Amino acid sequence: MSLPSAEVAADFKDALQDLKVNSRPEISNLTIIAKENTEHAQAISRELENHIRTTRPEWKLPALYVLDSIVKNVGTPYTVYLGRNLYRTFMDAYSLMEVSTRKAMEGLLKTWKQPVPESMDTRPVFPADITRDIENALIKYRTVAIQQQALSQKQALQHAVPARPIPAVPWRETPTPPQNATRYTPSNDPRVRQPMPQQMPQQMPQQIPQQIPQPIPQSYGMQYPPPQTAQNQFQPRSDYEDRKPSVDLNKLNSDIDQLINSTKMQWASNPSDAGIPQKLKALFDLQTILKHQQLPPDQIRQIQEQVIQLTPAVAPPPSTAPTPMFPTPQQHAATPIQLPGTPFSLSQFLATAPPVPPPSTPASLPQMLRQSATPVQPFSMPMSMPPLYPPTMQPVPVPAESTPSLAQLLQQFRPPAPSAAPPLVPPAPPPVSLPHLISQPPTTLNSAGSADWLLAALKAQNLLPGSSATPSSMQTTPAQTPVSSLLPSRDLVDRPWSPSANALNDVELTTASITKRSRPNLIAKLYEALPNQCVTCGRRFESSPKGKEMKARHMDWHFKVKDPDVAKRGVHRSWYINEREWIEFREQDDAAPTQPANGTTENPGVIGVTKRETKDQYIHVPTNASLVQAPCPICQEKFEPQWLVEANDFVWMDAIKVNDKIYHATCWEEYSRGGGAVEGGRSTPDSVLGKRKAEGHELDPPRVKMW
Amino acid sequence: MNALPGLSLSAPQEAIPQAPVFRTQHLPAGSEYRFEVPFSQTLRIKLLSGTAELFGTELAPHSKDPYSFSGTKGAIYTWHGCVLELSGETESEYIAEETQMMSYANAHFALENVREKAKRIGQIGPRILVVGPENAGKTSVVKILTAYAIKAGRQPVVVNLDPRQGMLSLPGSFTATTFSSVVDVEEGWGSSPISGPSATPVKMPLVYHYGLASPEEGKLFKPLVTRMALAVTSRLEEDPEAKSSGCIIDTPGAISHGKGGMYENIHHIISEFSVNVLLVLGSERLYSDMSRKFSNRPSEEPVSVIKLDKSGGCVDRDESYMKQLRQSQIRAYFFGHGANTLSPHTHWEDYGSVTIFKIAEGSSKTNASFLPGDDDDVFPSATVPIYEKLTPSPMIQNCLLAVTNASPNDKQEAIRDSSIMGYLYVTDVEESKHKLKLLAPLSGRIPPNAMVMGSFPEDVAGLVGG
Repeated sequence: MSLPSAEVAADFKDALQDLKVNSRPEISNLTIIAKENTEHAQAISRELENHIRTTRPEWKLPALYVLDSIVKNVGTPYTVYLGRNLYRTFMDAYSLMEVSTRKAMEGLLKTWKQPVPESMDTRPVFPADITRDIENALIKYRTVAIQQQALSQKQALQHAVPARPIPAVPWRETPTPPQNATRYTPSNDPRVRQPMPQQMPQQMPQQIPQQIPQPIPQSYGMQYPPPQTAQNQFQPRSDYEDRKPSVDLNKLNSDIDQLINSTKMQWASNPSDAGIPQKLKALFDLQTILKHQQLPPDQIRQIQEQVIQLTPAVAPPPSTAPTPMFPTPQQHAATPIQLPGTPFSLSQFLATAPPVPPPSTPASLPQMLRQSATPVQPFSMPMSMPPLYPPTMQPVPVPAESTPSLAQLLQQFRPPAPSAAPPLVPPAPPPVSLPHLISQPPTTLNSAGSADWLLAALKAQNLLPGSSATPSSMQTTPAQTPVSSLLPSRDLVDRPWSPSANALNDVELTTASITKRSRPNLIAKLYEALPNQCVTCGRRFESSPKGKEMKARHMDWHFKVKDPDVAKRGVHRSWYINEREWIEFREQDDAAPTQPANGTTENPGVIGVTKRETKDQYIHVPTNASLVQAPCPICQEKFEPQWLVEANDFVWMDAIKVNDKIYHATCWEEYSRGGGAVEGGRSTPDSVLGKRKAEGHELDPPRVKMW
Repeated sequence: MNALPGLSLSAPQEAIPQAPVFRTQHLPAGSEYRFEVPFSQTLRIKLLSGTAELFGTELAPHSKDPYSFSGTKGAIYTWHGCVLELSGETESEYIAEETQMMSYANAHFALENVREKAKRIGQIGPRILVVGPENAGKTSVVKILTAYAIKAGRQPVVVNLDPRQGMLSLPGSFTATTFSSVVDVEEGWGSSPISGPSATPVKMPLVYHYGLASPEEGKLFKPLVTRMALAVTSRLEEDPEAKSSGCIIDTPGAISHGKGGMYENIHHIISEFSVNVLLVLGSERLYSDMSRKFSNRPSEEPVSVIKLDKSGGCVDRDESYMKQLRQSQIRAYFFGHGANTLSPHTHWEDYGSVTIFKIAEGSSKTNASFLPGDDDDVFPSATVPIYEKLTPSPMIQNCLLAVTNASPNDKQEAIRDSSIMGYLYVTDVEESKHKLKLLAPLSGRIPPNAMVMGSFPEDVAGLVGG
């Protein structure tokens, strides 16, 4: 989010290049990167496509798994960007793959034709027109490949020379990858194979039955992980396989020297290990071969790779041990993503927040207040209240009212986070004695309620935040503003609309009145009059009981819209409403009480009703035989009759009859809301947002002129 | 390469992500932190202590995630002083001590008095029109007044008549929205409705398609203003919350140029919306012209003409920035903004299944200024067609189509006056198959309504892939 596209893309590319095997953590890591940078989706998608196109064939599959994971777990915009070139991306990779990996790719394709597992969205991962093209191409491909394979096998049998691919057959058309011309020499040479006796069993069964048309997968790093380090799960950052090792004999020799030395040392420290002398001998053999024989470059390269592979296993460097993963055998359908953290962790929060206010002000007001006002509440609790608003909480918890409000008030005591602390400790606020404050008239605030008015008064005086939370800022404005706002106003009656901001608003609608005088006292109407602030969005509320109630509802609203499954559902922009709908639309405040606000209009909260009862809607099991057998036309599932005591009959729950067809009520609601029908598509937002839709006009949007 | 890859003992360097550099910025009370962030960079701002507001909308204290800005020219003002934590690059940034915030706030309080009075006697609250040359900070003032009104518990109707930048919709559109919830800090005005929840409450705009860059060209501006004024006035009459709050109208700078002392369009807006408060920003001449014209109208309700100074923070936004801004607004319409990712849907449509109208050449050439005395003749005579039917061709690739609420067979005036359902983007045109590939905000059948293509905003190449 913070970086420009190019940088994000470069990071993503780097991470991609480390991906050589089907490693679940790495793939989910890449998916998370993609997910967190959806605004750079275009750049990331391009990078991914490029990588799949340019990387070595055996690394293409893991990269394709990344693509798969991104489109399934993140979805749009990636499906749009990647879908555009999907045919080319897929087919280019497919043409270079070996047979076994092609199977996996076909498996992937199959999942793309279906909706994302566990998703509520019933659309396929990629639109059908994209997958269909690929499908058609694959069918052609397979036909050709089978013919080619038959031909090559026939020729191979005729010549009885299994060791060479048939030059007449273009290598692309067979599963045989390009650089296999020399593979038999090393594998037939026992001296070369010897260094890795423990890896032989893995390799042998694969190689023997494969015979000619099957290539040896070139990546030794993938095939032969050193067992000593296999349990180590993290993938090394080393990029040795990234660049093709240059054929450098001297380098190789010196590397082998090093390897021998380190193995010797290892042996010295661990003489009981029987494997080490063997390894040592193999290395010596290898050295001899290299020194006395001319080997073709390909072979040297392979040796080099093996040496590299062996090096860390023998002499692991202190920090990074290359630990290639075994390719995961099973289909990688949907990588479960560990979402970055639950919304909020209480323990984390408590750990980071300093529990005690600065000790420099031992008898600070907050502390005193804390002792007097919240004898039963642990201090840490209120701090965590607003973000953590428990889901089980009633919308308006009237009996529990005092707790959250107190919590919210006390929240102001929260000292700034350690990193946030300004370097300079500000001078303490002017000492105000408690008795002095109490002696002041409680003005408009409720004097009956325990310490509430005091808290509010203190806050209006800027003393609470000033003493612990907002060091430098508050002192810069002299205290006269809040004091004046605390004084009872002479003409309170004239301004019933802002009961707690009593400063006289004398601004007239003239240029002179507006531009010539500054009235800092009026600003209090925007701030101090509304001391109860939501920490999530900054909205302010009065400190009155009504304000507290509103804030509680507002916090509930915040909690409700925090939906971790949004990405899965495929959120889209809705059509705008038309003129009549707009004129009749009434904004609903998330903090307003749910009932009365809408009572004035002719639509008494239609959505609220349907939403709550959609699932509980039922119809009596129809007597018409054709209807009994018919499934829901939307989800194609049959209805299950069940006995409902209230109805005293067998009913279909969650069912609704529309135009002589029976639908699942939830299906129908989703259909009519989610844009399945044109008219229904013009829906106003979800009731979750506290909006209503003008149901009466929905099915037949008025085209007539209104005026 | 001096070593075999993989043998190097040094840890790979490139893998370590660059830790963002945080810097702390103290703002004394009454000062403003002004910043310009190009589209290629992101600035993150977190309020550590004190209070701070961006164009009137308060930043949340102790927010877990910082606010991030990209392609933004903004200013964060503090009434009480604050400490900000900043990270990321900016094109320019500085602290300004001299701001116009006090007079803007005074304007708000003056309007509050008017609203209070209106509420008492059950009248419609102030209808405020903000005029001034380009880059005088009109939209910023509108935002500040809106945000303060929301804070005071009002629900003003905000009207955008500036096609250069969209409000809750694309550039080239006119919108009216009742604001009752906090204006989004990061995303300009916020978001129009989406199918899922959103962290900042969505706003409900009424959108009309204008499709031209300037109100001075073509004959669409006045009829659309008339139509919109009707809708807004009806809402103000019927919605008790909005009624006393009144409306705030943002305008393009072009109508304030006053060629030859004529301010036809301003005049038209004032009479259609019954404007009674006129805020003139940053132009003495305009103020003088306006007060002469509107202060003393014996027959009609007087208009309070108020001069506000231009904020020193106003910067000229060059064409390339405006273009990028438009493109990012278009992208956000289909794909969402920031963490709010949206899923648009691709459709293939036959040429025959869509009816596209294009603003007729003749109509846009006949500039009103060439026809003296047509002041009141806002509706073009029936002989001159407003639109002409457009046959799809590869020419319309990358264009935007506005889906109106009118049927293709409606009269052209009805199509012109229709509010729109939304926009489609022409991704591809397959001439041989007579098919159009359209990007729509949502799945489901594309409505068979009349679609209108404008010349503005310009084509957006590479909205999808590239």
